[in-house]
Amino acid sequence: MSSEINLAWMYPDILNLHGERGNAQAFKHVADLLRIELNIDRIDDIEAKIDFEKYDILLFNCGELKVVPTMVKYLKPQLKKLKKYIKENKTIITTGTTSAFLGKKATRIDGKEIEGLGILDLEFKERELVIGDDIYFELDDGTEITGSQIQMVDVNINNEKPLGTVKYGYGNNGNEEEGCIKNNVIFTNCLGPVFVKNPWFAEKIIRQICELKGIEIQNNGELDYEIEKESLKATKEFIENKNNIIK
Amino acid sequence: MKKVRFICTLLVAKMVLLATKIFRFTGSMISGKIAVMLQKDFVKYFTNVDFNKVIFVTGTNGKSTTTNLIAHTIEEAGKNVATNTEGANMMSGVASTLIKNSSLFGRFNKEFLILEIDERSLRNIYKVLPGKNLCISNLQKDQVQRNGDPDFIYKMFSDTINKDVTLFVNNEEPRSRALEDFAGKSIYFSMERNSKSFEKDDFYTVTLPCPKCNHKIEYEYYNIDNIGKFKCTNCDYESNDKPNVIITDIDYNEHTFKCGKDTYKVSYINPFYIYNYAVCIAVCKHFKIKFNDIQKGFSCFINPADRRETYKYKGKTIRYLRIKQENPETFQNALDTVARDNMDKAVFIGLYEIKDFPPAYTNTFYFFDCNFKGVVESNVEQFVSFSRTVCYDCANRMIYDGAPKDKLKIYNVEDDFDTIFETLDELETDNIYIITGMKPYKKIKAFFETKQ
Repeated sequence: MSSEINLAWMYPDILNLHGERGNAQAFKHVADLLRIELNIDRIDDIEAKIDFEKYDILLFNCGELKVVPTMVKYLKPQLKKLKKYIKENKTIITTGTTSAFLGKKATRIDGKEIEGLGILDLEFKERELVIGDDIYFELDDGTEITGSQIQMVDVNINNEKPLGTVKYGYGNNGNEEEGCIKNNVIFTNCLGPVFVKNPWFAEKIIRQICELKGIEIQNNGELDYEIEKESLKATKEFIENKNNIIK
Repeated sequence: MKKVRFICTLLVAKMVLLATKIFRFTGSMISGKIAVMLQKDFVKYFTNVDFNKVIFVTGTNGKSTTTNLIAHTIEEAGKNVATNTEGANMMSGVASTLIKNSSLFGRFNKEFLILEIDERSLRNIYKVLPGKNLCISNLQKDQVQRNGDPDFIYKMFSDTINKDVTLFVNNEEPRSRALEDFAGKSIYFSMERNSKSFEKDDFYTVTLPCPKCNHKIEYEYYNIDNIGKFKCTNCDYESNDKPNVIITDIDYNEHTFKCGKDTYKVSYINPFYIYNYAVCIAVCKHFKIKFNDIQKGFSCFINPADRRETYKYKGKTIRYLRIKQENPETFQNALDTVARDNMDKAVFIGLYEIKDFPPAYTNTFYFFDCNFKGVVESNVEQFVSFSRTVCYDCANRMIYDGAPKDKLKIYNVEDDFDTIFETLDELETDNIYIITGMKPYKKIKAFFETKQ
């Protein structure tokens, strides 16, 4: 079994809305701190056949809703392999409206529907009004995540399990649910370089993969997240001092 | 009936305008705000507006400078021009401009109407004022809290642009150039590769999806971040080989460039300005304004929207660069300016929470749209990140691009400039750069002018 983690950075130029290349950098950064070999491959060609056997993480950053049909077009012929990848508990990370490709459908403002791959029971509805705000949520194990969301869709996760519980912000659609998780398929509305701001989230994912692959982590000490912890503290303080939110 | 209502509204608005002049109220849009409040489609009823000579200027970056430059140059060429130079670029600002430049009965009394238009307002303004000339500087990520993603604005533009419109677009900016599909006529302005053009070969470099087919766009080189000679990796969409106006032979030291056979000399020069000159030349040529008149305008152009200032403080030179927050291009431009200076220096960056409208929030996405490597590798004695809350994310961004932690100071304070700039006295370098958004500008300016 390979002693390294392979991350496929999916369509970096096409899914490039909010500085999210930082997420790829964050995984490399955290893996370096853990002294684990993490390789990143750019999948630049949207028509490329994906080597699902090779990868442990498929990272789909946030892109415009208009590119989702093109993604679906080229991923659909690979759906069987993608489903196998998910069944093997390998990781997919997807942020923002891009996540519509995994869902059932997305409905645009003009009523046109975009069909997704139907892997997750998600439905997206484009909003007339953009919601830009901070988001603060907790994962099941109490891991705190802060960031911002630019919500251009409302998301109904139906019977899927939410990724976390919203402490502040809009989340999926103004209720307390944030994102979605199924096996190791992770969807969040928290945009931008969320794994830079919350490296403990990246660490959690890397540790799970290491466990799955039997990779020994070289550095078991506490990692240096001094600046990120200060950022978390400052962001929470900022959030506590505001009482405005658009629903 | 609507016309009668218009005349009444106009009279009220003119009285308000007079009152603001007498009592010296600031705020150029009060009369327009009241007029639009009283009659939603107020702008529609002005007469004698020649739509062929209405020029809208919109886009993400460079709207104000481009509008000022075009209006100034056409005016210097001897034409009568009305413009909203104060940057009042929404419906009320347009109404104010028309109120100021019309008779008591709403007869517009200038030849040209040159208007900076907010991207989101273009659609509604066009409905009541169907100008036939539209200049789009570029279409980039900006103010995501209200604009969402660039496609949101692109759709608004494409819904508005029609076959009556002559479009002036940047030949090297893929997103706005794609709007050519909707216009009656497109005029392309361009800048050739020059000494400030650059390539990107970093592993983490990203571009954008093709506006026509959603595949990857590739750049042969960049003149400004995200603007340069491009082509789609899938379809045949690419920079036009024969743009209508192309700036060549750029000499940044001599402040000169050529366009066709003509050599222009200008006071402001950098790649952003060159594109502004290019679109201005394109517009002027469209209206048959000759080289000598254009040059006359360029020679005496003073840009009230310039965002760079220099102060002296205890023998140190403070270069203050202001950016639009949540706008990666202006931030990258400021970073590139710092990076091009290889002298020892200290760099202070103060990017604040976004408080443009509720809810205030702490978006720091755009830090990762920008590259700090050039700055990090340009002999920096000290990096300082200051501002409330987001100072840590900004500092972390610098670390991700290689800034050594021991050279980095972080101040989680707001507007406490005595504390933030206390380190200036300890620095060996006399070469100081400060980059901030617009918000602290007046306070920082006052701080250094007082200390001066």
